[in-house]
Amino acid sequence: MIKYFVPKSLKEATEILSQNDCYILAGGTDLMVQKHRSASLLPTFEKDVLFTNEIKELDYIKVDKEGVHVGSVTKYEKMLKSAQIPDIFRKTIEQIASPGIRNMATMAGNIGNASPAGDTLVPLNVFDAYLVLSSTRGERKVLVSDYIIGVRKTIREKDEIIKEIVIPNLDLEFDYEKVGSRKAESISKVSFLGAYKLEGNIIKDFRVAFGSVSIKVVRDKEVEKKYIGLTKEEFINRKEEIVSDYSKLISPITDHRSTKEYRQKVACNLLSRFIDNIK
Amino acid sequence: MKINFVLNHKPIELDVNPTRRLLDVLREDLHLTGTKEGCGEGECGACTVLVDDKPYNSCLTPVLNVQDKEVLTIEGFREMKEYRIIADAFADMGGSQCGFCTPGMILVSYALLKNNPHPTDEEIRFALSGNICRCTGYQAIVNAVKVASEKGVKL
Ligand SMILES: Cc1cc2nc3c(=O)[nH]c(=O)nc-3n(C[C@H](O)[C@H](O)[C@H](O)COP(=O)(O)OP(=O)(O)OC[C@H]3O[C@@H](n4cnc5c(N)ncnc54)[C@H](O)[C@@H]3O)c2cc1C
Ligand code: FES
Ligand code: FES
Repeated sequence: MIKYFVPKSLKEATEILSQNDCYILAGGTDLMVQKHRSASLLPTFEKDVLFTNEIKELDYIKVDKEGVHVGSVTKYEKMLKSAQIPDIFRKTIEQIASPGIRNMATMAGNIGNASPAGDTLVPLNVFDAYLVLSSTRGERKVLVSDYIIGVRKTIREKDEIIKEIVIPNLDLEFDYEKVGSRKAESISKVSFLGAYKLEGNIIKDFRVAFGSVSIKVVRDKEVEKKYIGLTKEEFINRKEEIVSDYSKLISPITDHRSTKEYRQKVACNLLSRFIDNIK
Repeated sequence: MKINFVLNHKPIELDVNPTRRLLDVLREDLHLTGTKEGCGEGECGACTVLVDDKPYNSCLTPVLNVQDKEVLTIEGFREMKEYRIIADAFADMGGSQCGFCTPGMILVSYALLKNNPHPTDEEIRFALSGNICRCTGYQAIVNAVKVASEKGVKL
């Protein structure tokens, strides 16, 4: 018999998870699609289900010196309306799905689903955002980029739950682009986020991440380091080399949304345009 | 599992599997068939209902997630004075043809106008971006929302 749990607090949730192997169900906009069979039939959950919807204490957006803390049951719509959420996240979220889905879905769900096309994963990587995972054993912090290890694969232990996502402060210039088939309701074919900081004429920070071009978000701190500290002119002059470095890192596939050649080309063009636009 | 919420202004208690889709609870269990199933995957908006005045895709909503909330379907909205204004505007402007998308379109329009009584074309299109219509070509629907806005849905 499948059991259903509706904890009202984080403590209650971790106690349940310490005893039961559960699907964690938040907004359901990924899980309900994956478990759906046909009209009027129950979705097929083969394991127990823990609903996060009633854990009201995890519905928050808080700011402190570490950055912005987003409780795991916070809906996208709330993030969109909050001035505390960095603009670049709001710009990303505004292009996810549709208003109805954004009223239901959570960023923790986007992370938990670990899809190569998860749109928030791109800025979360660029910001070095991390998760706080809770269990009866305690808490641990894990970078979002380390939490996801493959398609639908994460390092979550069975007794753990995402308590919150922490987005560190980051003061950079951003360029985000999502390439899909249409404005709303489209899953990314390629997404790109470039960021930099100029101090005087020096590139003080430089970060790049791509979504949908590999099994997980592509970001490479070694490549970034190569170009930090250059003058703007030097940086721009090495555009071809930068594009070629990233071109080697991405390994897109062909699927029903797009082809690998298209994705490769568009990803490189977005990077090129980002470099051209550095002022 | 016992689940309580307010449905179309009346409190209701159901004994139901909590993962059951709200859409099936409405259509199958409660025979409220105004809410339509198009894609069943969150993409078309035909199944839209309002939950605490916000559009939700009921095909992806486990019924547990509306516990203690207020759910409004097209049947409940028909009893409200704002319904007439929006429904007449859809009829006058040709905003409904086969009608399959219409319950969702009308509820989303109401949710928009309630928050933003005088939306721009762009705001209307943004609000309706999760609702697909295969008949009207959308412009007639945008026009209908504008007419409803001029007539003052907020009253
Ligand atoms: C029509 C449609 C369009 C979409 N468009 C986009 C899009 O443009 N971009 C995009 O990125 N996504 C898109 N999605 C996917 C989806 O909406 C997002 O991934 C969303 O963020 C999932 O959140 P949720 O709360 O609904 O997750 P759920 O479906 O409830 O859960 C998803 C996964 O996360 C896990 N999880 C949830 N909460 C926790 C927690 N607290 N701790 C540990 N694990 C947890 C679950 O166990 C599950 O594996 C779309 C979906 C639909 C149906
Ligand atoms: S039936 Fe729910 S969005 Fe299409
Ligand atoms: S009127 Fe037919 S789908 Fe919109």
